[in-house]
Amino acid sequence: MGILSWFKYRSPFGIAFMLQRITGVVLLLYLCLHLVYLTSLQSKELYESLTSLTVSKQFFVFDSLLILCGIFHGLNGLRIVVHELGFAHEKRKPILAVLVVLTILGWVLGSYILYTALGD
Amino acid sequence: MRLLIRRFDEKSYWQSFEVPVKRGMTVLDALFYVRENLDPTLAFRASCRMGICGSCAVKINGKPRLACETQISKFKKEIKVEPIDNFKVIRDLVTEFEGFFAKHKKVKPYLIAEADYENPVEWLQTPKELSRYYVFSLCIKCGACASVCPASATLNGYLGPAALVSAYRFNEDSRDNGKEERLKIVSDSVGVWRCHSAMECSEVCPKQIEPAKAIQLLRRSLLR
Repeated sequence: MGILSWFKYRSPFGIAFMLQRITGVVLLLYLCLHLVYLTSLQSKELYESLTSLTVSKQFFVFDSLLILCGIFHGLNGLRIVVHELGFAHEKRKPILAVLVVLTILGWVLGSYILYTALGD
Repeated sequence: MRLLIRRFDEKSYWQSFEVPVKRGMTVLDALFYVRENLDPTLAFRASCRMGICGSCAVKINGKPRLACETQISKFKKEIKVEPIDNFKVIRDLVTEFEGFFAKHKKVKPYLIAEADYENPVEWLQTPKELSRYYVFSLCIKCGACASVCPASATLNGYLGPAALVSAYRFNEDSRDNGKEERLKIVSDSVGVWRCHSAMECSEVCPKQIEPAKAIQLLRRSLLR
């Protein structure tokens, strides 16, 4: 029995549990990379050359996936907090359904805002 | 109907059987059919055949269920029967439950109260007091909850959903005086704080007990 057994469950709650771990790891890795990236920007020229590479439509897919990870992880975390306080266990299915809808809406909206902000 | 059974005898392998389907037939009936007509070496546990003893919990098409309460007609072509996860397989569908019951025993699943046996009196309880724990008293210790619990999968010592349900059930009983003792046990490093709220236990419980809720309510009692 190892940590891989965390990823074998098939109910919607098991999938949410699994995705919470995966998105958590993704966000942690991103945070580390982000901090390394920021601390490496020591001059204006370097800043401009690197941001022109990463803040671009080529990188949009990754940014969009990051938005998805962040929104899902945050909303699912709130759902878990509510249940861990002992509330709404009987309503967990509709709550999870609302969470999925909100995640998709937030992802689409966030990606749209980001895409339009990137300009041409 | 094709019955695919995951056998285990030193090594694990799948074996297929053709079983005639009759109206009202359960997966347990099919297992008995196989043992009585096709392969007398097939090992599985069963006792009450009516969803009370919890002996026949197996994984049916990927989900832990009671074989005696699962109608064959629910499935179309094939039924995959496996031993439940997170338990050591002894043989075929028979798993080792000693550790599971030891954990259950650990939470003192009985009434702790002073009783005068010389002058016995009835312990009265109102319907409201009964309703505080009644649903949690329906646990049949089938192990389905522990078999899908990610915390049980990764930590052998974790008390698991069934034992914690029992702890909550007796803690909420108005006749019991052992709440502090039990709270001390469940607040241990392998107790309620190990639950990751995956809620798989509540999803598979054949008695719809909501073990996840009992665990969170135990946590709440601990924080008071």
